[in-house]
Amino acid sequence: MVHRQSSPLTRGVAAVFITLATLWAVFPFYWAIITSFKNRLDWFNYSFIPFLQFEPTLDWWTQELGPAGRGPELARAMTSSVTLALGAAIIALLLGAPAGYALARFRFHRWKNRDITMWFLSQRFLPPVATMIPIFLMVRTVGLLDTPWALAIANATFTLPFAVLILRDTFKELPIELEEAALVDGASPFQVFRLIALPLAAPAMVAAGIICFAFSWNEFLFALILTVKNAVPMTVIIAGSEHTKGVIFADVATRVLTGVIPPAILALLVQRYIVRGLTFGAVKG
Amino acid sequence: MALKNLRLGLGRLAEPESRAVPVRVSTTGARQSDRVKYLFILPGIVWILAFTIFPLVYAVRLSLYNSKLGLPNEHFIGLGNYIRAYSDERLWEALGVTVRFVVVSVAATVILGLLLALLFNRPMRGLPIFRAIFTMPLFVPAIAIGYLSLTIVHEDGPINNFLKLFGLKQPIPWLSDPFWAFLAVCAVDIWQWTPFAFIVLLAGLQSLPDEIYEAAALDTSSAFQTFRYITLPLLTPVILTVTILRMVEAFKVIEIPFALTNGGPGVSTRTYTFYTYITGLKNFDMGYGSAIAIVFMVLLAIISTIFFIRARHIYD
Repeated sequence: MVHRQSSPLTRGVAAVFITLATLWAVFPFYWAIITSFKNRLDWFNYSFIPFLQFEPTLDWWTQELGPAGRGPELARAMTSSVTLALGAAIIALLLGAPAGYALARFRFHRWKNRDITMWFLSQRFLPPVATMIPIFLMVRTVGLLDTPWALAIANATFTLPFAVLILRDTFKELPIELEEAALVDGASPFQVFRLIALPLAAPAMVAAGIICFAFSWNEFLFALILTVKNAVPMTVIIAGSEHTKGVIFADVATRVLTGVIPPAILALLVQRYIVRGLTFGAVKG
Repeated sequence: MALKNLRLGLGRLAEPESRAVPVRVSTTGARQSDRVKYLFILPGIVWILAFTIFPLVYAVRLSLYNSKLGLPNEHFIGLGNYIRAYSDERLWEALGVTVRFVVVSVAATVILGLLLALLFNRPMRGLPIFRAIFTMPLFVPAIAIGYLSLTIVHEDGPINNFLKLFGLKQPIPWLSDPFWAFLAVCAVDIWQWTPFAFIVLLAGLQSLPDEIYEAAALDTSSAFQTFRYITLPLLTPVILTVTILRMVEAFKVIEIPFALTNGGPGVSTRTYTFYTYITGLKNFDMGYGSAIAIVFMVLLAIISTIFFIRARHIYD
């Protein structure tokens, strides 16, 4: 898009607003970080600069991470979150990659490719409450309540549309000549998929996996109803940080930060796929 | 190998028949490759059938029974639960809260996102860094943001302290007054999802053709006219996509009121999903909970249909 030479004034105003917007996006994270280093007395003070405005303390972090504090509980929750999110991402990729390939490379007739694609996508539009009660009963019946596996299965279902849509797009964009040449040389469709298409789609596979992982990590409702004690993941642990005596600011801050850091860092790795992934290919980024 | 048949299956990407490599095609081979495609797609379909469609059917069945956990004799009551839903005032309240939340939050998200996108749509250094910063809220658990904002909108928290600088006398009762609590819930959601609208709309703006702006510049139309008569119409499909995707997600909201207000004060921030959760898995009124969940699904299906009708061509 072309721009007319904008005046210094316009550019100055724009710079101010850009700065404000960035501050607005970053402030809660910064607030959480400084609160986690503040003494109880400083919580309500309007102060933002450690050492200058308040004396920082490491007490809250030793309590959060230390073996004598809530460290063991945190370690359990982290393990559970990683297990369920990794499990969900792996399942979503195992199912989503072949499905995406089929939708990109074969033609379906009675049920057209478009219909199947939209059917997969409609999973994401379905409100989770619709299946909440039956899934709770099913999980209880098969004895998977309070395990990360039940959550891995549920989240694989929720995030499968991301995997299918992102990979379908990716396979469509790969040059088809390579695959055709391999077919001429006598490779089976499975070999073509596994040995040619998949390696070429590796970056998109990683990106789709990360998006599935992050969304599974962040899921709360099913995590709340399907875990009791042993498999409680980070999101539910954060929800437990409210105290009967009122909000312990620093506890909330340390909890939130430990739960937020993994998905936030992963988000930085998938910049190229975000627009496309989160709009299910409706907008090309 | 059944190349010819596979080629026919390649859709738009297939080259014209005449240029295809001539290979011998046996009918059995053709069938085999035609069937192979089902092997690729079936695992995904079976998975969804097992973990979405089956639970949905189960939910419909539950909704026709008066089943409660621990209640020994559940029996068929037909549409009884649905009739009860119709006359359930608290359900209507929850729906009202949800609809108001969706309207406020989605409108604000899209408008702010559009303004930001216009602001950032200029040649500037470090755009990837800004984009990365704005992506982070999207990938952060909503429940964490909810609890964090508990400390931010606290009566003695930074927002009220900030407003005091501008002469605020009484601290704003963010969490104890129905109006302000509702606004706080909206504000947190807006904070989290404006970046989504921003990033997607910026991508939309940047994909608009340059030529049309060059022509507009020649016609010396003002910046506002360029926006009103060129940018806005061209961007409308993207704006609609963002709006519908946001609406669908906003309708499902539970984390933020759960964390921030626990649905209160009173029931002023108790959303539909929240109410369903309490009914079905706190009070274990599973028959009724399923019925209202099904009603909700139908409501959302209507909105999603708009998206699918509009987006159909993309998935060809």
